[in-house]
Amino acid sequence: MAKRSILHMFDPMPNNSPFDVNMALDCDFDALATYANVKPDSMHRMTQDVIFSRGPKGVKQTAIFIGGRDIGVAIDMLNSAKKSMVPPFEVSVLADPSGAFTTAAALVACVEKELKTKFNKQLKDCKALVFGGTGPVGIATGVIASLAGAKTCLVDHFSSDAAQSLAEEYNRRFKCNLSGTIATFDEDKIQLIEDADLIFCTAKAGIQILSAEVLSHAKQLKVVGDVNAVPPSGIAGVQVNDFGAPLAHTENAVAVGPLAVGNVKYKVQHALLSSMLTGEKPVYLDFIAAFEKAKEILNS
Amino acid sequence: MNKPFILHMLTTAKNLSPFDVNMAVDAGWLAAIPYINVEPNEVCGLVQDTIFSRSPKGLKNTGIFIGGRDTQQAMDMLKNAQKCMFSPFEVSVFADPSGAFTTAAAMVAVVEDELKTKFATNLTDKSVLVLGGTGPVGQVVAVLAAQAGADVRIIGRELAKAQQIADICNQDFGAGKIAVTASIDADKADYIKTADVVFATGAAGIELLSAELVASAAQLKVAADVNAVPPSGIAGLDPFDNGKAIAGSISGAVGIGALAIGNVKYQVQSRLLKKMTEVDKPVFLHFEHAFAMARDYIVAAK
Repeated sequence: MAKRSILHMFDPMPNNSPFDVNMALDCDFDALATYANVKPDSMHRMTQDVIFSRGPKGVKQTAIFIGGRDIGVAIDMLNSAKKSMVPPFEVSVLADPSGAFTTAAALVACVEKELKTKFNKQLKDCKALVFGGTGPVGIATGVIASLAGAKTCLVDHFSSDAAQSLAEEYNRRFKCNLSGTIATFDEDKIQLIEDADLIFCTAKAGIQILSAEVLSHAKQLKVVGDVNAVPPSGIAGVQVNDFGAPLAHTENAVAVGPLAVGNVKYKVQHALLSSMLTGEKPVYLDFIAAFEKAKEILNS
Repeated sequence: MNKPFILHMLTTAKNLSPFDVNMAVDAGWLAAIPYINVEPNEVCGLVQDTIFSRSPKGLKNTGIFIGGRDTQQAMDMLKNAQKCMFSPFEVSVFADPSGAFTTAAAMVAVVEDELKTKFATNLTDKSVLVLGGTGPVGQVVAVLAAQAGADVRIIGRELAKAQQIADICNQDFGAGKIAVTASIDADKADYIKTADVVFATGAAGIELLSAELVASAAQLKVAADVNAVPPSGIAGLDPFDNGKAIAGSISGAVGIGALAIGNVKYQVQSRLLKKMTEVDKPVFLHFEHAFAMARDYIVAAK
């Protein structure tokens, strides 16, 4: 009898995310087991318990998902899982803490696409700002954009130190080139966005970060992407379904809205989850794999 | 292809109740996923993770169950969950902490049915005592009986606690439209003389109404007891009783035991869990819906 597919969902938080649970079951995993409070130092033991209980054939129908809220921790867990495999006892692993990797990958890929089709530019030609840049989606967005060559700055609402130290930490970790700054008041924001080409908004849902008045000061703005689906939009004038629609209050910038990003994110996460069951060889998937998949989906 | 039915089960306790998990799976939910030690302020995050990961169509096959031990907290979590959603990203939510909502609903509905069939009357203006009434089931029994028009008194071991629970019943659960009163256990011998209905909702294995007090209840009509562990909460009442005359009652009162209540409770919880999988518009279910379902079930079962 064919083995049923099992996804083991490891999460360092006190609970798994319902988001990941819905996605995994929608991806045709037969059974799903949730494990909360899994810390990086228990990944070795947990992973070996996964691989040694099903035989070399059974492990092809077995996979690990790593969730949580902290992308550094998730990457540590992914690396630890990878090191714990004993071929042919090995399974695929996907890390997507808070959906941050797939959301960020979709966001950057959508913005990159608009940049290319509407302005014939690439990320490496651009200065990018990530508002709400110190949360999981913001950091992952920053890392992906920076690795693609954009001059990228993480912007925090409250603390310049927090933004800068996170930028340094992730520069060390992923060999990217982020900077960090603070923008609490409209004056700060106006100064920052005057020469920005791209703006990503990954701040808390339901809070408007950039007003129409602030936006009107962005003279070089080309594309904005906003992942906030709870009204009001994070960037004034962005509609949830926008995908390249002109952005009000700007000269010629276009917008990518949360449902457009969400649609691509959904496809990316679905494709990555599926790829863990279909391939002959185990795969280890992080935000780089997610970004590649997002670009592939947008180009198809 | 239809999306699998997923029920996200939230509890403030350190584990789900296996009772609720079995009920959910038997009602047609494919996956019953636990979220434990959930703080009320974490509900919104969990709800938004739930609603943003499926299409509006897929969300029809998605639900949230709220368990835990605390009735007031469960109602707050239900309200929070509802507030964190917006059309069309919505799912049904069902709160039933410790099974108290469905148990209380079954208990009151069965008693109401006995009043109707054996005494040709209803709960309106009846004098009702809820013994051991400060626990989750007792609170909700008091609220439902009061909402049905009864004059309800919660009896507890400490007056201050009983009074506090009565206030919660009146203000929070009853929205200021009911007036449940409270008394101390030591005074129950007085109140039993004029009681029409008694609900025993105390801890298992404690006798709340002695044979002597049963004999002094001159106008008692129906007595119900949720306790299935001997001795029963009401002397002379057996867990299997379902409308049987109580030995020693001078007023011809009938008794409802834990198993008769449990049977209806099971049906109510199962039907509400099923209803969540069937509705086109999301529903937000608590004790009032459980009571309506219990009444419907009792009528339909005849």
